[in-house]
Amino acid sequence: MNDTIFAKAGILMLILVGLSLVSWEYYVRSKGFDLSYDDAGPLWTDKRKQVYESPDKSTVFVGSSRIKFDLDIDTWESITGDHAVQLACVGSTPLPILKNLAADQKFAGKLVIDVTEGLFFSGAPNNADRPQKNLTYYKDETPAQWASFQIDHLLESKLAFLDKDRLSLNAMLSETHIRNRPGVFEFPGFPPGFGRVKFNRQEYLTDLFVTDTAQQNRVKGVWNFVFKMSKEPPASGAKLDSILLSVKGDVDKIKARGGQVIFVRTPSSGPFLQGELMGFPREKYWERILTTTNSPGIHFLDYPAIAHFECPEFSHLKQPDAVLFTREFIRILTEEKGWRFPLMARR
Amino acid sequence: MVFNSYTFIAFFIVVLILHSLPFNWRTKKINLLLASYVFYAAWNPPFILLLWLSTVVDYFVGRSLYHQENKSKRRLLLIVSLIGNLGMLCFFKYGGFLLENFTQLVNLLGMDYHPAKPNIILPAGISFYTFTTLCYTIDMYKRKSEPVKSILDFSLFVTFFPHLVAGPIVRPPQLVPQFETPRQATRKQLLQGLFLLSLGLFMKVVLADSMLADSANMVFDAHDRVSMLDAWMGVLAFSGQIFFDFAGYSTCAIGVASCLGFILPENFLYPYAAIGFSDFWKRWHITLSSWLRDYLYIPLGGNRSGTVRTYINLMITMLLGGLWHGANWTFVVWGALHGFYLWVEKLIADVRKDPARSITVTPMGDVGVLGPVPEILKKKNVRNFILALLTFLLINVTWVFFRAPDFGSAWKLLSAMFFPFKDAAVLLTTLSIIKVSVIVTGMIIFHWLMRNTRVLVVAEKLPWWLLGVIWSVLLLLLIWSQESSSSFIYFQF
Repeated sequence: MNDTIFAKAGILMLILVGLSLVSWEYYVRSKGFDLSYDDAGPLWTDKRKQVYESPDKSTVFVGSSRIKFDLDIDTWESITGDHAVQLACVGSTPLPILKNLAADQKFAGKLVIDVTEGLFFSGAPNNADRPQKNLTYYKDETPAQWASFQIDHLLESKLAFLDKDRLSLNAMLSETHIRNRPGVFEFPGFPPGFGRVKFNRQEYLTDLFVTDTAQQNRVKGVWNFVFKMSKEPPASGAKLDSILLSVKGDVDKIKARGGQVIFVRTPSSGPFLQGELMGFPREKYWERILTTTNSPGIHFLDYPAIAHFECPEFSHLKQPDAVLFTREFIRILTEEKGWRFPLMARR
Repeated sequence: MVFNSYTFIAFFIVVLILHSLPFNWRTKKINLLLASYVFYAAWNPPFILLLWLSTVVDYFVGRSLYHQENKSKRRLLLIVSLIGNLGMLCFFKYGGFLLENFTQLVNLLGMDYHPAKPNIILPAGISFYTFTTLCYTIDMYKRKSEPVKSILDFSLFVTFFPHLVAGPIVRPPQLVPQFETPRQATRKQLLQGLFLLSLGLFMKVVLADSMLADSANMVFDAHDRVSMLDAWMGVLAFSGQIFFDFAGYSTCAIGVASCLGFILPENFLYPYAAIGFSDFWKRWHITLSSWLRDYLYIPLGGNRSGTVRTYINLMITMLLGGLWHGANWTFVVWGALHGFYLWVEKLIADVRKDPARSITVTPMGDVGVLGPVPEILKKKNVRNFILALLTFLLINVTWVFFRAPDFGSAWKLLSAMFFPFKDAAVLLTTLSIIKVSVIVTGMIIFHWLMRNTRVLVVAEKLPWWLLGVIWSVLLLLLIWSQESSSSFIYFQF
């Protein structure tokens, strides 16, 4: 008798769970949600392990969110034949990852360092949280975690509802926007259509976002909030010197092993760009990185072909623009900066 | 490997298939043993050596202890086993703590001694499997049970993956006989096991990790003094988190074992419905509290050596029980608080001459009652509910020391819980407060309603369609929460 109760309940459970998941998947896809991968420690670690590929066949990217949105990896790989290893982290300084690569004697490849001045020169510990967490996960990953990641990858490749940032229980509850008590710190949060993450860690703005000014305005509100929240003035004096010296030390180590390093300032636009240019004048920040590290750099404002982009929310390129940016970026690298992609020559 | 991971699901499917194939019983046991080693090694392969060492030493020492007639040799063997087990535990778990305290002591005495901080990784589950093997050798010394006949059965007893890293702490008579004859889960055991696994994962992933952990972490990790509301919400969130995390693990462990045809002892019996603290310890981490009772409190003399000695023994047991949880003085204070509560309760009981309260769990894990149950523990009246609430609130105070990283943080939070401060930080969002309030209230009500029964007993009485709907909701919320496979809190103990 009891045996039958559990058996019947189990069958009903399988039917209900199956039907619910199929319906949920159908619903979220009908609402414009596409596959997106959880951009946390396991995915980052998967890419971090790829930096040891031959320098003739791969390029490593570190930085903040802009290089993740602006570098179209499919375009990069189809033109150069080079594998793009994306290690940039959103809302973060790339310096902990740069330090990690510099300390890794086995890494001697090509490295592109994306500079978003507000994050690169901030020195605020919270801007290093995400890279530090990823590095910790990379160092401590267990065989069981590696295996879970492989299975997770298979599932995330098929199911759009597996999108922790937008479709998890907590993410959806947070969209209720219940009013808080005065004094509670409340980060405004990004709208559901803002970004999707590919398995290669490239992020892209969804079509829904690009056409929805309300969502764009919400992200602009996030930037405004972040600007207002930043109480510390841009790094200068000894603090700036210290950051630059640290970067120089790391870049020198990579170069000493035969690695190649280039800095890139990816596009921003509108009031965001104006604020950045005022807060971080080029001669005091961008130019000093290049002179201190004795490295080449590509600043988008120096190249008319990539200086004109209008970012929907002032900070990241939409997909078609990312393709154009990537093409021009490769052209500049090869024709003006002397970078060579052996596999590109064979195409 | 943790239960709340894709790796475990894949691993468990393979184990279930292997266990249901028509191999002979010895081959099935070897499969289970190898699977248990894979389960453990998937976290940190080198530490499997410690497990082997502990297994081999205790198997042979245990047999010798049982058969040896010479008293001196028996004592020597027991000391070898105790040094081996406790020495390993001390080195890995308490090495840094002991060195830190020694350093502070000699510095206080004027010596300038600053050794390098040791970088010792704590092997997962060492506290659990050490206690498992310890109770075997002590039982052999006392000849309380027969030695395990084969090293295969003993290895499986120590290593059996459902209980290996976070209990329930099993005794030889609870598990070893189950390895001696062929076992295969009945369809009912399999289905009940899968139901318990779903329930345990729901408790861990949805309630502990997804709903409560952030609020608890935010309040306990706050640098500033928080408001009274935030302080209480943070502590209540942790009360829920630690219960759902650990009871969730135990429920998964019992469910997984059931799917394979084995029975593990109950570890939790709705502890937040406890009326008083002796009742709490018969409902919270039951296998540890009974272990401490049988292998520490009673050998110390228990209540057989007079009233004063009983109180001292009680406190020693709770202090060491606290230290078992972690190498930090905050855990000792947590144990001391529980010891103090038990003192007060015993004092009241002694004055009122209350009969002993005696809910217990049978060796095979069934909830049973040895002797008459006092009416006070049976009745679900308002008075008892208020007493249970009072017990719960006092237990919340102890959790502050359990979770706080240091005494400074603990005092800051405790003062915030009981005194309003101007300019105190307000941290938690309204949504977080709603989550904590709803879940903790639901948890208390659920514990109260379930305090004299068990989940499977209730599940069997439900209409099948309702059980099916509840099971579906558990799984759907589990999938919907999309929490990554975070470790269980008790893995660090």
